[in-house]
Amino acid sequence: MKHLLILVLLFASFNTKADENLLLMEQANKYYDDGELIPAIETYNTILNNGFESAPLYFNLGNAYFKVNNLPMAILNYERAKKIAPYDPDILNNLELANSRIVDKIEPLPEFFVFEWWRMIVNMRSLDQWAWISVSSFLSFLLFTLIFLLSRKIWLRKFGFWFGIVLLVVFSTSFTLANQQYKWFRQQADAIVFTPTVTVKSSPRDNSTDIFVIHEGIKVKITNQLGEWFEVRIADGSKGWIKEEDFRRI
Amino acid sequence: MIKAKRGMIWMVAVVLALMPVLLEAQQVEFTGVAKSVVAVGERFQLQYKINAEGTGFKGPNIVDFNVLNGPSASTSSSVQIIGGNVTREVSYTFTYILAAVKEGTFTIPPATISHGGKQYTSNPITVKVQSGGQNASSGQGSQQQGSTEAVDVFLRAEVSDTSPYLGEQIIISYKLYFNNQIAGHDGFQKISSFPGFWVKNLFPNQREIPTKTETIKGKQYNVAEVRRFALFPQRAGKIEISPAETELTVRLRTDAKRKTSDPFFDSFFNDPFFSSRSQDVTRNLLSNSVTVDVKPLPTKDKPADFSGAVGKFSLRSQIDRTEVKTNEPISIKLTVQGTGNIELFDLPKLLFPPDFEVFDPETTSDIKVTPSGISGTRVFEYLVIPRNPGTFKIRSIEFSYFDLSQNVYVSERTPEYDITVERGDGSSSVVTYSGTVRQEGIQIIGSDIRHIKLPPYNFQPLGTYFFRSQSYYLILLIPVFLVILILIIWRKQMKKRGNAELMKNLRATKVARKRLKLAHKFMKAGKESDFYVEISRSSWGYLSDKLNIPVAELSMDNIRTRLMAKGTNDETINQFIETLNQTEFARFAPGSKTDNMEKIYSGALEIITKLEKELK
Repeated sequence: MKHLLILVLLFASFNTKADENLLLMEQANKYYDDGELIPAIETYNTILNNGFESAPLYFNLGNAYFKVNNLPMAILNYERAKKIAPYDPDILNNLELANSRIVDKIEPLPEFFVFEWWRMIVNMRSLDQWAWISVSSFLSFLLFTLIFLLSRKIWLRKFGFWFGIVLLVVFSTSFTLANQQYKWFRQQADAIVFTPTVTVKSSPRDNSTDIFVIHEGIKVKITNQLGEWFEVRIADGSKGWIKEEDFRRI
Repeated sequence: MIKAKRGMIWMVAVVLALMPVLLEAQQVEFTGVAKSVVAVGERFQLQYKINAEGTGFKGPNIVDFNVLNGPSASTSSSVQIIGGNVTREVSYTFTYILAAVKEGTFTIPPATISHGGKQYTSNPITVKVQSGGQNASSGQGSQQQGSTEAVDVFLRAEVSDTSPYLGEQIIISYKLYFNNQIAGHDGFQKISSFPGFWVKNLFPNQREIPTKTETIKGKQYNVAEVRRFALFPQRAGKIEISPAETELTVRLRTDAKRKTSDPFFDSFFNDPFFSSRSQDVTRNLLSNSVTVDVKPLPTKDKPADFSGAVGKFSLRSQIDRTEVKTNEPISIKLTVQGTGNIELFDLPKLLFPPDFEVFDPETTSDIKVTPSGISGTRVFEYLVIPRNPGTFKIRSIEFSYFDLSQNVYVSERTPEYDITVERGDGSSSVVTYSGTVRQEGIQIIGSDIRHIKLPPYNFQPLGTYFFRSQSYYLILLIPVFLVILILIIWRKQMKKRGNAELMKNLRATKVARKRLKLAHKFMKAGKESDFYVEISRSSWGYLSDKLNIPVAELSMDNIRTRLMAKGTNDETINQFIETLNQTEFARFAPGSKTDNMEKIYSGALEIITKLEKELK
């Protein structure tokens, strides 16, 4: 009985948290529609400060930043939304629009095709989708195992056996792919540049050679670190060092 | 008669044929003729004549006079027949037009020409050049006797410095020295074009020409500076400025004492009122030529980016603001001020950071032309627009000029400017071209971002994922336990089922006997059909329990097979089958039943007991 009560309370508290976030979200949306963009941004950020996130939240926040012409923040939030929902067409559209307005035009370097295939496959579904696929395939696998073990009829047993094998393969594949995506997420290797004009240096020192110049809003991949200096790579393959204060991770 | 005519014709023919021989006899003369006395600036003719066909005329080298024209050649020939004498005159004439430039007595060397293989030399010619010329009287009216004023004018070119530096300003002035009354002039237009110099006219409005007096060689002259120029040499070395030329008309006073026979006219002409008569004489005056030796600028310490400025200058730099927002213009003015060749050089260009859009600088000049030369101010105005936010530096540039007062190169620098650019409002959608930083390509201005997303929302705690979360593992593992549980239960069930069968087996006899008892009751009660059903049930049921085969599946064949498998002997099997058949037969066949019932009853009992023993 006690356990049940605790469960009920937990559930209730969880629900109120969800309600609070929903209220905040609706309030922020109203600000946005009324053109009061700064209050909208602040309210969206309150939800984040409460410790909650969701793809629409990042998306709406990105829109608000876009409208006040803060391109780097807009791009950062769109990228965060995209992380959660990689195939949402609205997110992709707005991100593309925001990227078209940054100063630097980069010709992306084509990756080694195997890496590109791997990346495509891993990202074919969002992390949550892979997780659910793995769960359902595993449960089905268990079901068919039971069928195999417990049925009298030979054809049932055969059926159960083969299907069980198939589902086991599906499970391990989806688990592997999900795991890879998960690891990439945890690394947080992607970042957006925030300093308006950054000179990228050849080595992690203030007086090293300037290699090239990038501007705020461009997406970089972090490849190395030495103290406050980070080695980054941009889409066209160029590599160099910038300072920690110049970027924010996605 | 005819004979005489023929003879005449013959003679003419012979004469004509022999004409060259006749002409040969003539003496060839080659002479030069010119005026013996001329005035400075006066033009006169120099002519060479040969009375034969001359070839290869070589004129003299004339150094003391200006050759204005020549040599121009002309020929003439004429034939005369006088009283039987035939004379043919041929003359070739070579004419020069000379102008006297300086006083003195000069000799023009002879000229040469060839004729008939022989070379002939002319006579040298002596010409006396006088200053004003006592040759005043033109010969008109020989009644005139008396002194006429002398022509006393000359034109002089003076240069402020005959050995300037390249680019250094020198002043050339043309001065007219005169002691006669000037009646008219040609405006002094025939001045050299000063090749090799950049020229600025210092007397652009010629109205009043001031007159001064100067003494030259003990003689006092009136002097009028008629032209003045500032010259800036554009190349090093010797540059010659050719003489200026002017046509001047002077009015000479004549004190003419006319002696006529008529006393009446005498008094009239000797009246003081009329006593000064004047004569207008036109002279062509030539100035002296001037040679300027231009020194090249010293190479020692010459700056690499030397602009070519020579003189004395100052450089000033002004910027209108150093803190702007993007797309706001900044104006930088560079001002050069001073004296010298200010119009002839350009300032070095200012360098701007790559994110700046730079427009070509606008130049305004304010040049002052004074009698002492050229001075002034030039302003270069730059307009730049920063396109991106950030902090930038506009580096200083160096302007160097050659200072004539110290004969060294002097450099002046513009200051370095620190510019802070803040992000402006809403201007990032403006499409402009500037350098390599800005994007190329047309931006889709018409589209806008998609609208914000509406509920429902799914809020998750920050940084958490379903994958590999607690609930994920739970969902995976709990079913595993369930499955194991199920399997265990299943096993148990199977076991139990086995037990059930065992139980059934053991109770088979009991059940059978129970059924038989019931059958017996029916037998006693005379209920035939019930009796037979019960007997059937007991037999079949017994077998079913014992063999663990459902009743519906029992057949004669599998009974036999199973019983044999269980080790029952054939006799017992046959007997049992017989009993079964009888029971079925009796059940469905007509006939007296009471006897049969007894028989069948005991048969069933017996066989079941027997089977019981054997199936243990």
